[in-house]
Amino acid sequence: MNPRRSYAAGTGLFILLGFAALAYLATQTTSLVNFDSGPSYDVTAEFANIGGLKDRAPVKLAGVRIGTVKRITLDQRSMDARVTLAISDRYNQIPEDSYAKIMTSGLLGDQFISLSPGGSPKVLKSGSLIDNTQSALQIEDLIGKFMTGSGGSKAGSSGKK
Amino acid sequence: MKQLAVRLFDPLLDGLANIGRTGLFLLGLLTALPRGLTYPRELLRQLWFVGAKSLIIIMISGLFVGMVLSLQLYYTLSIFGGTSALGTVIALSLYRELGPVVTALLFAGRAGTAITAEVGLMRATDQLSAMEMMAVDPMAFVASPRFLAGVIAMPLLVAVFNLMGIFGGHLIGVTWLGIDNGTFWSNMTSNVGVWKDVINGEWKALVFGVFISLIAVYQGYTAPPTSEGVANATTRTVVSSSIAILALDFVMTAFLM
Amino acid sequence: MPAPNPSSVDSAAAPLVRVRGLTTVLSGQKVFDALDLDIERGKITAVMGPSGTGKTTLLKHITGQMHAAAGTVLVDGQDVARLPREGLYTLRERIGYLFQNSALLSDYDVFENVAFPLRQHTRLQEDLIRNVVLTKLQAVGLRGAARLMPSELSGGMARRVALARAIVFDPMLILYDEPFVGLDPIALNQVLKLIRTLNRELGITSVLVAHEFAAVREAADHVHLIANGKLVASGTPGELAKGDSPWTAQFFGGALEGPVPFQYPAPPLAPAFGFSGARS
Repeated sequence: MNPRRSYAAGTGLFILLGFAALAYLATQTTSLVNFDSGPSYDVTAEFANIGGLKDRAPVKLAGVRIGTVKRITLDQRSMDARVTLAISDRYNQIPEDSYAKIMTSGLLGDQFISLSPGGSPKVLKSGSLIDNTQSALQIEDLIGKFMTGSGGSKAGSSGKK
Repeated sequence: MKQLAVRLFDPLLDGLANIGRTGLFLLGLLTALPRGLTYPRELLRQLWFVGAKSLIIIMISGLFVGMVLSLQLYYTLSIFGGTSALGTVIALSLYRELGPVVTALLFAGRAGTAITAEVGLMRATDQLSAMEMMAVDPMAFVASPRFLAGVIAMPLLVAVFNLMGIFGGHLIGVTWLGIDNGTFWSNMTSNVGVWKDVINGEWKALVFGVFISLIAVYQGYTAPPTSEGVANATTRTVVSSSIAILALDFVMTAFLM
Repeated sequence: MPAPNPSSVDSAAAPLVRVRGLTTVLSGQKVFDALDLDIERGKITAVMGPSGTGKTTLLKHITGQMHAAAGTVLVDGQDVARLPREGLYTLRERIGYLFQNSALLSDYDVFENVAFPLRQHTRLQEDLIRNVVLTKLQAVGLRGAARLMPSELSGGMARRVALARAIVFDPMLILYDEPFVGLDPIALNQVLKLIRTLNRELGITSVLVAHEFAAVREAADHVHLIANGKLVASGTPGELAKGDSPWTAQFFGGALEGPVPFQYPAPPLAPAFGFSGARS
């Protein structure tokens, strides 16, 4: 091969490798992974306190990832956090009375929403509201409980409704 | 008294004059850049020399930095019981800070010095004057392709460095220290952003690339045409680039955060 | 190959290079002081002088690489200092320049070095470029070395390659900067013969900056002797060799003392050794 072409080939390889590395970093090691590609439907849930929950946090049922947190807003009337969940269309048989809970993976890990299935024959559809929710576990509250010994007071599990 | 003032201010003025001259050189370089683009073959050759030939050192360094990072951070995180965040912390340290800075320092040592020495030698052996005599502008034919190649190569090298760093970190964290593979990745993917972390680091890489290439080409282009002159210019390239990288890193981190 | 220039038709008899009142100051030192000289068309003119008289500087003025403090340099009727960048580059394509250290591009082999000006300024077909380059290499006797790299050449060979590169456009003028320095007698004679051949057969005006009077005597039609920034003697080599003026006597006769002092200008000797007692 003539030397000029082998330069060009080596340089081309270098450029391709660089862009491939960048593409891998951007798509496989970042929150882009958490974008569900398929179609989804939106369900809302209201929490008294969402703690450190963030946009695009996973939504899991029985540990299986079924969707992501799409939007977090504050409902000014009830002063509750309104969380919109985008659940993949594939999972369309989730009972309407399922229970949503904000959990933490590990002690310092990320927060995610865990759904526990209820027993209702009706299923969640686009626009449904999940009634049964439990707020994020606040470490400060937990410590406070231990300190005062007043277990089960209003500061603890402030389950909505 | 006056002598003391002169002695104090002289190096300062020299430094200022140097920055000024480098800035003026950049202006000349930018005006020559469009004409430099008419030599795509030269650009390709230089990309080979500064980019492809830096790959090995960048890959090996990236791997080891990732491995060390994994060991150190595992130890620190285990104090707080937060080893599940290992992937996140490795990725963030690499993307935002270590990737661009370490790659830039290596690049200045590997490619910057090569550019300075080569251009300096071309000056010393009258090759640049010969080009001028053949009605070829060395700013366009010699300086521009080298500058441009450095600017293009840096972000690509940083991406490769980061990738190797993640692999190194994964190797130690998951294979050796026994963190769960799924935890390592899921924790990373839910906390690392494309724009705020990956692209943020690539911006730094681009800016470092501009400064290293500019300093390297300028030092070579203006090196005194003696062996001592070229040697000194090469040293100055490393020193000036390193200081510029670290200072710019601080400024950019403060503004990009 | 250069396009016929109207001014060269008008003034076919006029000198190709005309220097008038050239004054140059380099880092505080006056190199030229109102220098006047002419380079005749079609001849080999040697420019000689003691070291440091700015002979190379003169060549840089002719090619517009350097600008004068005062005075003009006309090349083929054009004021070099006034030419815009494009005009200057067009002029340079018609001037060949042989550097003292050959200045071959170290990234390219011999063939590509000679082809370099063609590739930069023309869109010739590859086989045409090949023909031109091999013809020029044949002229300097190095067609067989076409694929060697500059680092593999001896000094004399490198200079011949540089010469092939300088003539690739069939220039109207070639400037030789110290073409004989560092050559063994065989290589020197080869270069000398080439300079003469190019001038006689192609009619290329040649300017030769050199120290070797023996070689200059062989080649040059005319010699300019520059000293102290002025033209101090001018004539055929034979005339200058007679040594009528103190300059030519010292320069060509080899006298140690003359207009060029042995001692670099210095304060009187006695005070420098502290003998006068006049300390300040």
